[in-house]
Amino acid sequence: MMLLNYSQPLELTKLIKWFDNLLRASLPEFWTLLIEFVVVALALLAVYVVVALLLIYAERKITAFFQARIGPNRAGKWGLLQSPADMIKILLKEIIKISRSDRFLFFAAPFFMIVASFATFAAIPFGQSLHAIDFNIGVLYVIAISSLGIIGVFLAGWSSNNKYSMIGAMRSGAQFVSYELSAGFALMTIVVLSGTMQFSEMIEGQRYCWNIFNGHISSLIAFVIYLISGHAETNRGPFDLPEAESELTAGYHTEYSGIMFGYYYLAEYLNMFVIASIATTVFLGGYLPFEIQGWDGFNQIMNYIPSYVWFFGKTFVLIFLSLWVRWSFPRLRIDQLLNLEWKYLLPINLLNIVLMVLLVLTGLTLKDLFGIL
Amino acid sequence: MEDIKKLILDTVKDAVIEEKQKLTVTVEWTKLPLLAKTLRNNKDLPFDFLVNLIGVDRGEELGVNYLICSSKDLSKEIVLKTSTTNRENPLLYTVTDIYESAHYSEREVYALLGIRFINNPDMRKFFLNSDWKGFPLRKDYDTNPDINPVSIESKEIQDIAPRIMETEEGQLLEETVKVFEDDDYVINIGPQHPSTHGVMHFRVSLDGENIKKIDVHSGYIHRGIEKLSESLTYPQILHFTDRLDYLSANMNRHALCMCIEQAAEIEVPLRAQYIRTIMDELNRIDSHCLAWATHTNDLGATTAFIYGMREREVILQIFEKTCGGRLIINQNVVGGVMFDIYKDFQKDVKAFIPYMREKLAEYDRFFSHNVIALGRMVNIGHLSKENAIAYGVTGPAGRASGWSCDIRKHIPYALYDQVNFKEVIRTEGDSYARYLNRLDEIEQSLCIIEQLIDNIPEGEICAKTKPIIRLPEGEYHARVEAARGEFGVFIESRGDKFPYRLKFRSPSMQLVSAMPLICKGEKIADFIGIGGSMDYVIPDIDR
Amino acid sequence: MNSLSKYFLGIYTGVKSLLVGMSVTWKELWTKKVTQQYPENRKTLVVSDRFRCELTMPHDENNEHACTACGICQMNCPNGTIDVQSKMIETEDGKKKKILDVYTWDQGMCTFCNLCVITCPSSAIKFENNFENSVFNRRKLIHRLNNEGSKLREKKKEVKPAESKAE
Repeated sequence: MMLLNYSQPLELTKLIKWFDNLLRASLPEFWTLLIEFVVVALALLAVYVVVALLLIYAERKITAFFQARIGPNRAGKWGLLQSPADMIKILLKEIIKISRSDRFLFFAAPFFMIVASFATFAAIPFGQSLHAIDFNIGVLYVIAISSLGIIGVFLAGWSSNNKYSMIGAMRSGAQFVSYELSAGFALMTIVVLSGTMQFSEMIEGQRYCWNIFNGHISSLIAFVIYLISGHAETNRGPFDLPEAESELTAGYHTEYSGIMFGYYYLAEYLNMFVIASIATTVFLGGYLPFEIQGWDGFNQIMNYIPSYVWFFGKTFVLIFLSLWVRWSFPRLRIDQLLNLEWKYLLPINLLNIVLMVLLVLTGLTLKDLFGIL
Repeated sequence: MEDIKKLILDTVKDAVIEEKQKLTVTVEWTKLPLLAKTLRNNKDLPFDFLVNLIGVDRGEELGVNYLICSSKDLSKEIVLKTSTTNRENPLLYTVTDIYESAHYSEREVYALLGIRFINNPDMRKFFLNSDWKGFPLRKDYDTNPDINPVSIESKEIQDIAPRIMETEEGQLLEETVKVFEDDDYVINIGPQHPSTHGVMHFRVSLDGENIKKIDVHSGYIHRGIEKLSESLTYPQILHFTDRLDYLSANMNRHALCMCIEQAAEIEVPLRAQYIRTIMDELNRIDSHCLAWATHTNDLGATTAFIYGMREREVILQIFEKTCGGRLIINQNVVGGVMFDIYKDFQKDVKAFIPYMREKLAEYDRFFSHNVIALGRMVNIGHLSKENAIAYGVTGPAGRASGWSCDIRKHIPYALYDQVNFKEVIRTEGDSYARYLNRLDEIEQSLCIIEQLIDNIPEGEICAKTKPIIRLPEGEYHARVEAARGEFGVFIESRGDKFPYRLKFRSPSMQLVSAMPLICKGEKIADFIGIGGSMDYVIPDIDR
Repeated sequence: MNSLSKYFLGIYTGVKSLLVGMSVTWKELWTKKVTQQYPENRKTLVVSDRFRCELTMPHDENNEHACTACGICQMNCPNGTIDVQSKMIETEDGKKKKILDVYTWDQGMCTFCNLCVITCPSSAIKFENNFENSVFNRRKLIHRLNNEGSKLREKKKEVKPAESKAE
């Protein structure tokens, strides 16, 4: 596909190219790759932590505004230092060892959680050339890896020797298994539309027509279902049954303290980010700007905004939506939660895939109808 | 009531009937269940609502007073009295089979006075540990702290309930029953738990997520207010009432003041009556706002919780300016009120009324029709009218079951006979009906305030009372409608400046006593939600 | 068909109710917040005059108070927070007279029921609305209310001012 060559002065492509060339010029292939791997890993880790801290701050502040409060305002200007301060506090806190708990599993559980969220995080394209691994089955990988987190929740509930944790973990199991289905099917709908499972190809295919517009009705339904089930997978209200503060005090992580609790906390926020960014990538054109075929001047202006800003902007809008939902609704009960999935989301989803297949086969997608590239 | 007297004499020939403040009937303890049953099953006017069960140490003998009234007309009241002279092993017959609400009250009487009730299915001590020595409300109780030292060791909770059953041959059989089965999955909800609204301990046995059985374990913040009151003068006791159900502090205090005023025949000035009524209703709105807020929070909607607090704050500001207190408002005194209203009181209250109406509409839009909220409330925790009466569940919860039980309508006090308001009654009896009842009652309270606020007459705010108030010998009852239901005060005076016996009827105790019934078979999540809809306040139970 | 239309009607009403709920929070997002920023707003903070925080015994410019050490407040206090210490002195005309020595009030035990103030026959004590009373030590909550060297304000004006300086 020939693309018009827009000037994109703020992109990081050149910087990365230059760094790569620099290394290759002075080092053999093996060392170049090793150094690049380490740098990429460190960069991802840094972004991971920064995103988590920012999310925690944003959630607190936005929640407060929804709730007629001011939110953090003591640590630093507008409470900006609140999250770093909390991070330091959580690092310094004592890790309480529970007697008569399964010590090994108890300590292993948070790592499953954090590893799952980090491994998914790494596969997300943040911008042009800001994509660590581009699997040809990226969508499948993300679905598979993100469900690893449930093992962490389960182990935590089981090994804590606490009845509340146990109930929380059992609820979590039912919830994860159910909503994974919907999330997966919703993504598969779009795979049908775009004909690829690779994130980079999927994004490039959306240049002038994001998937959510391309598949119109069907895409929109898939989008909403993905947001709902993604929200449920991250265990955030109204689907926060595994934690259910007013019922189970803190659910599966009741017994954790210090950094062990911090891992769960971090993973929860990152999962929220991961879900939002997958939705962005799959439905909203990822890091691509909003462009309209033929309007070159407009497209040029849009392209001045760098791709990572587009990506984080779109993701933030989705996260805001998730916060808005979370702080508006009461919690579902376990049977209602399963009802919602098995009686509403799943059948609608299955019909929706058929609808999408029909749309694609009969050439009723927007791209086909209007001849967009 | 003449035919009732006849009925009583027909049933128990040697019953002594006295016309005191209430119609008082004294019978032998063996005859009491028969009399209670007869009155309970009386066709035209069934005396099926046990208002208050009061254990009294009468010196030589230990006795119990039962204040019963008819659920059809709460103003038809009878006091049944019985006693036993055996102080070593006092035994009376239970009325639990006649009035379900007697169950916990009888356990309380056992803990505090040592009277055991034959045929009560579970005769563990309520409030006190099973190994507590002595019976605190007896006059000869030794208060020496060495007898019951404060233990820092954790104690296992007794899971085996003793009881005394009477066999068909009339033999008394001491036996024990297990509270839970051996393989029950029992979880503790409380004493420290975000949703018990205080230091309450429910032990819940679960079958998956479903509730099999609930055992209520109370007394973590029992302060012995009734015992303390026996050595304090009447004005000194007043400040305890604010600390019972702290959310309807003013109404509780109103009840005690009213009881003392009726006994001492003090006329309360009209201005004071106006202020009392307005403050009561403001207090009711405040309490219902908080009840709404905590109920929504129990269902997981944290934002709604804060909205409820926001509206409540406006009332608290008015309280603070009127009487210098926000929660413990300390306003009523014997003979009137402590503080006159401040200059802008009327203006502030009148500004509050439209504000609250607007917010009620917002509550409605935000939560009342929310599909998730409906799923969590409709047809959950169903309490039938019969059970509401049997368990003595009054207030918004009782009225949600279709029982007209508003004391303000049945036995008007203060200015409630001069204002127009609707008694909000729903017949569904589920969580949602209780929820809606509260919101509607806020609207009714606003109506009452609207009718009164412009007509506050000039005059005294407090009647002149003697420096030391002594009540004439006798037994006095007073009943008011607090935010959670009927709050009652019983004073037995022996002509002294201290009460001989003082007992509060706390509405929350009856609300909690109905919890095991209405939660059975529901999900654990709904147990929390039902608790929120019943809206009990624990310090009200743990007097 | 009926159940199918019910199914979709259920989805429609459900989603609608959720959106209405979200509109309420959306509106709240933009309203002015009611939170009071406490230490910053100390200058503008209005605490009701009737707010009961600290029991005080007002002294006038001559360091005189109105307490006759009758002990009624101490008697009326339900918690025993007030301790009135009096002493006997001999006035100039040879009469024995009871005057106030030390008036202590234990804030930590007070329930702020206001009984002491309303029963005081000479209006010698009152509650102030100064609410910033946190201290690090419980013993610091025990306040002495009468100033050092203060004395009873004489009701009759003709009595000579310098009388019982012997305190």
